[in-house]
Amino acid sequence: MWGWRAGALLRGWGRRLVGAPGRRLLSCHAASQAGNSAPRCWKCGSPRGPARGDGLFCPQCSALQPPDPTRDYFSLLDCHHSFRIDTTKLQRKYQQLQRLVHPDFFSQRSQTEKEFSEKHSTMVNEAYKTLLAPLSRGLYLLKLHGIDIPEGTDYEMDNQFLVEIMEINEKLAEAQNEAAIKEVESTVRGTRFGVISQDLHGDFSLRGENLNDVGGMEKQKQGWRTKQVYENCESGEEDGRERMKE
Amino acid sequence: MYRSPSSASLMRQSPRLPARELSAPARLYHKKVVDHYENPRNVGSLDKTAKNVGTGLVGAPACGDVMKLQIQVDEKGKIVDARFKTFGCGSAIASSSLATEWVKGKTVEEALTIKNTDIAKELCLPPVKLHCSMLAEDAIKAALADFKLKQEPKKGDAEKK
Repeated sequence: MWGWRAGALLRGWGRRLVGAPGRRLLSCHAASQAGNSAPRCWKCGSPRGPARGDGLFCPQCSALQPPDPTRDYFSLLDCHHSFRIDTTKLQRKYQQLQRLVHPDFFSQRSQTEKEFSEKHSTMVNEAYKTLLAPLSRGLYLLKLHGIDIPEGTDYEMDNQFLVEIMEINEKLAEAQNEAAIKEVESTVRGTRFGVISQDLHGDFSLRGENLNDVGGMEKQKQGWRTKQVYENCESGEEDGRERMKE
Repeated sequence: MYRSPSSASLMRQSPRLPARELSAPARLYHKKVVDHYENPRNVGSLDKTAKNVGTGLVGAPACGDVMKLQIQVDEKGKIVDARFKTFGCGSAIASSSLATEWVKGKTVEEALTIKNTDIAKELCLPPVKLHCSMLAEDAIKAALADFKLKQEPKKGDAEKK
């Protein structure tokens, strides 16, 4: 597996690690020689060698290889490892990958390949969904750098903020018509949410290239928590509109 | 006429598993949770400016849940009324609904002993939803703390002015 994984790592990080890749590949190789089996195709047994089609297929027999669950979404979808990404390029890469791995194209292949294709396709879907939306992209990026927003009560949450959120949700729950919902919408989007979003995106993009700034990351964490709550307000608006239809 | 929000409007999602839970074996909400969702107990508000009312307002940022729990205490220190408003998943709503049921009739000291594990057990919450019961326990404690703070002598206020 080492060769394949190193290949994936190189594709994702190669741009930044000048000189290091060669060394890393050697050390991976050394480790594999030490005892682990070298990466081989599950079907024909030949070494995986140079990657073909994003490392998905065996260069010898073209059999679909199993996905690497540790691969990060940015490298999988060939994106810059930062908050600011080209979503058009993302979409194109997503479609390109699905054309290679989607289960529809493996209906005549072996059971093993069918299963691999399902796993690949699911992972590609998950990666695309995560990277497409700014909120999930931001949270994922934080997670990759070891910053998780823990589940459960936040004892340091600003009380005034909670009061505001309560009021927004209550207004949505009581809204009797479209106009009332629009009013809440403009408050959420226009004032606080809009400002916070801009701050976050701008800040994150600027910092995106230097995510080792701990102080900055803490601030990001706070910001993204806030954004999550505001996004929930948006779904509250949707629910309100659904209710109107009933 | 004020129409108090039903729990249907409190719940942002219909009883479907959120996307991140789809990798777990498919699980429906337990009927006890559904019961609290369809027949909410004690939804509403108390006058938060009243001296004998304690208000607890807590939030869980990862899922964006917000929970408000209020208690009304009599002169003998017994909780005579409780209300809640929760915006979040069914488990969070059920946990806070149950919490308001449990605090009623208890003294302020007794209410402090309510544990999230008891709430979770009663509602048969799955492991991924344990934090919802914790949020309810935190809301109870916050309401009790707010009430206690209000009972303290007013010299603090005099200093502020």
